[in-house]
Amino acid sequence: MGTIKATMPGVFYRRPSPDADPYVEEGGSYTPGQTIAVIEVMKTFNELKAEEAGTVRRFLIDDGDEVSMGQDIAEVGE
Amino acid sequence: MSELIVHSPGLSTTVQDTGRDGFYEIGMPPSGAMDQFSHRAANLLVGNPEGAATLEATYIGPKLEFTDSRIVAVTGAEAPLSLNGEPVPTWEAFAVKPGDVLSFAMITAGARPYIAVSGGIAVPEYLGSRSTYTLTGLGGLDGRKLAEGDRLPLGEASGARPGVRVPDELRPEHPSVTPLRTVVGLCSYRLTDAGMESFLGTEWKITKDADRVGYRLRGGKLDFVEREQPFGAGSDPANVVDLGYPVGSIQVPGGDEPIVLLNDAVTGGGYATIGTVVSADRDRIAQARTGDLVSFVPVDLAAALAARRDRRSRLDRIKSLVS
Amino acid sequence: MTTTDLVLPPARYEYGGDEFVFVEIDQAMSLEANFKAMTITAALRARSVPGVIDICPSNASYLIRLDPDVLHPAELVEQLRALEESATALTADQVLPTRVVDVPILYDDPWTRETLLRFRDRHQDPDATDLEYAARINGYAGVPQLIDALAGAPYIVTMLGFVPGLPFCYQMVPRDRQIEVPKYVRPRTDTPERAFGYGGAFSVVYPVRGAGGYQLFGIAPAPVLDVSQTLPDFRERSVFPRAGDVFRYRAIDRAEFDQVRAEVEAGTFAYRIREFEFSPAEFLADPDALNSELLEVLYR
Repeated sequence: MGTIKATMPGVFYRRPSPDADPYVEEGGSYTPGQTIAVIEVMKTFNELKAEEAGTVRRFLIDDGDEVSMGQDIAEVGE
Repeated sequence: MSELIVHSPGLSTTVQDTGRDGFYEIGMPPSGAMDQFSHRAANLLVGNPEGAATLEATYIGPKLEFTDSRIVAVTGAEAPLSLNGEPVPTWEAFAVKPGDVLSFAMITAGARPYIAVSGGIAVPEYLGSRSTYTLTGLGGLDGRKLAEGDRLPLGEASGARPGVRVPDELRPEHPSVTPLRTVVGLCSYRLTDAGMESFLGTEWKITKDADRVGYRLRGGKLDFVEREQPFGAGSDPANVVDLGYPVGSIQVPGGDEPIVLLNDAVTGGGYATIGTVVSADRDRIAQARTGDLVSFVPVDLAAALAARRDRRSRLDRIKSLVS
Repeated sequence: MTTTDLVLPPARYEYGGDEFVFVEIDQAMSLEANFKAMTITAALRARSVPGVIDICPSNASYLIRLDPDVLHPAELVEQLRALEESATALTADQVLPTRVVDVPILYDDPWTRETLLRFRDRHQDPDATDLEYAARINGYAGVPQLIDALAGAPYIVTMLGFVPGLPFCYQMVPRDRQIEVPKYVRPRTDTPERAFGYGGAFSVVYPVRGAGGYQLFGIAPAPVLDVSQTLPDFRERSVFPRAGDVFRYRAIDRAEFDQVRAEVEAGTFAYRIREFEFSPAEFLADPDALNSELLEVLYR
């Protein structure tokens, strides 16, 4: 089991817009290159993409929370 | 072929030098490297003049391929670096060959790495500078941040040698709260005494709105002196008759979100400014990240000039290591 | 000879860190304060002081950017104080060589109207347009009367700044006829390129699209900034306005707007410009007479 880390500081969002579905649900799986979340910083929204396939066990921070660089945002498994 | 090929651009990487001087009066900010010490140190390590153009990345470093033999140095923010997968050090000159690829792991301290290549990034100058100013899309590479597949021209390299490193004591520190030496003044008369005390006594948190234009901060509340607004100023207590803003000056719209204006900032406007971060400490704020804390430390002009001389003497020591 | 004393408080000298000196002539805007700033900065420019990088006259103040490794900021302040001493009165023979320029404006245009309607939640009066609001709080019967006043008398460019090429302009009328409006309650995140805006006692033309807090009154068909430097007026400088220029924001109709836009697109547009020796003292003595003369010179 591992974690996905924020590669930049900012504000963390799990969905592309407030009314949209999350990119990945807890328990959901993802494929390499898939967007897991976006981080807003420097007036831009930056996609956080998965490097390999996996499953999100749980998110460690809430939608809209501040995140620091290198912080774990989700626990993931294979 | 003397080019740098951009495999991945990072989050926001631009060509910068010591800045574009002489156009503040038409409303054009100087741009240039936010952390001038790291930019100049990187140039010195690779045998460039301090004013040669480097790459300034923010938060995520780029992945770059070299097409000829060059000397390279990376300074500023700390990140594990690799050349073709093999580790290479920061703050130290190393040699690259055609086909070599430089990549960054996640930054461990600071915000902005600087990448200098012997010969410098040789994009065309605009008004005497290669610095990128993205607001009006000028300077740098087509006036914009780098994109995947870009090819950056390089200048003629002089005879630098690999292996020269900047000793630890000359490198910047990355404290948990970054102190910013500040000359209080300008329109500081707009704040009450309690407001000024709160400004200087607060550890301010850097918000997500922190970029080359300015850093917006949160964490305290500043009270304004009540007055009838002077003619032409506008109605808000934070408004003044529009005036020029020094680079590094701090404005306080609303009283609860100070903004430190930086290299790409607006050159003037109608908000009261209450002091100016000294030029040497713009290097420090450039390496502070969203979510980090900063504090303002009041100093006088003599201390501001001393800080500037100290930066110069640290650069001169690096220069002497290289020659 | 007419002499007009510049009766103003003593200037305030402030260090903007180690690289700037800020000088506040007055906290309130007045033509007197601007003329004093222009006079001192013009004298400093004439001296070509080594170490001075930028000289920025700015409404009722001015800002100098310097290289402290060449010129000690305290030494600069001493020189500026000496210049202030010699700028306490304006005589009629003190002239500012200036350009008088016809700047066409389509007031109450569809583009700024679309923008301002998108940001009503940030405005003092969500139920009116910016022109309707400004007409009401300035005591005009309606928008047409306000536009007549805006277009009727020329303005002096009192400052360049904010972004490259943005002219802050102050109308050359006595204070009781000055139009004054607040800035938006919260700034907009969008403003069309070339929008004609008004905030405090200043009008501006926004050079580029972007954020802004001024009331939106119209749009200019011709640019104030041309980074590509293709238009003839921009061959030497990418920015058209200069501090001290006199602009007449003439009201035009949609047909003329479209015609000027076509000329700009074709690269043939040139501003109507006349050179003029402007005497601040004569102006302050009889503003309306000098304004008539300026307009006469411009359209001769």
